Amino acid sequence: MIGRSTDWLLAMAGGALLALMIHYNSLLARHTSPIVASWVAHGLGAAAALLLMAVYSRLVAPATAGPSKDLKPPLWFYLGGIPGTFTVILAAITVNSSLSLSGTIAFMLVGQVLFGIVSDHFGLFRTPRRRIVAADFGVALAVLTGSALIIFDRV
Amino acid sequence: MLPYILLALVNGMFIGTSRAINGRLSTELGPFRASLWNHLIGFLFLTLLLAALGGWKLDGMSTPPWSAYLGGFFGALFVAVNSFIFPRLGAMNAVLLVISGQMISAVVIDYQNHHIAPSLSRGLGVALVLVGVHFTRVAKAPQPQEKTS
Repeated sequence: MIGRSTDWLLAMAGGALLALMIHYNSLLARHTSPIVASWVAHGLGAAAALLLMAVYSRLVAPATAGPSKDLKPPLWFYLGGIPGTFTVILAAITVNSSLSLSGTIAFMLVGQVLFGIVSDHFGLFRTPRRRIVAADFGVALAVLTGSALIIFDRV
Repeated sequence: MLPYILLALVNGMFIGTSRAINGRLSTELGPFRASLWNHLIGFLFLTLLLAALGGWKLDGMSTPPWSAYLGGFFGALFVAVNSFIFPRLGAMNAVLLVISGQMISAVVIDYQNHHIAPSLSRGLGVALVLVGVHFTRVAKAPQPQEKTS
């Protein structure tokens, strides 16, 4: 199966995909509005996910692609898309405030890291619990400080 | 200023919540189905919201370049990848590695678009992010304390 170092690389590649997503969605938002752009992106994203799912289940893992569990997942497992849409709405408010785009991005990153600490500690949303050690704070500090240098450098 | 800082922080927590739930769904249905549900539910929710707000009217709308529609594809792929790694790496490692990849890519994208070499402080920022990534060791991957279903 896929090893840990592959997870590590996939996560960083995921970050690159996210940067591309934000780049193109902001381009769309400049021509429409943040919420309409997000609506269009979600619609096209659903179509793309359907296509990816079909390709994946046909070519890569025909046997394991389908739901394999006997128990039906609870309804809220399907609702991850809703807090995801809040992002666009709340960001539209803070980007137009004194925080501007840079400040919005920076504090959103801090919020994500805070969530990561709390989620791992308590095992929120039935995720595996994990001890947060001192080294985690060092990593978080390095990544967030580096990110701040990148974000606030924007002219 | 403070209320907006809090709002941005809460926004980051919403992002985390969304990713945690999608990661959880991914362990049940697989990452691509999780991505599909994320986009379908988000699309329905935004449809209702736009209908309620009457935000369909776009007077100043100009025709976007075709590339502006690529975001949906990258979003679908991103949610699938992130949902896959989230339960495997844990929330903290997942978010720090994703931020690292995002920030380094942002520097590259800006360079591609503006053709201005990254500044010294950006170079320092990338270096610092990489230092953080280096210490996000493979050994730090979560050891689940209990198997929750």
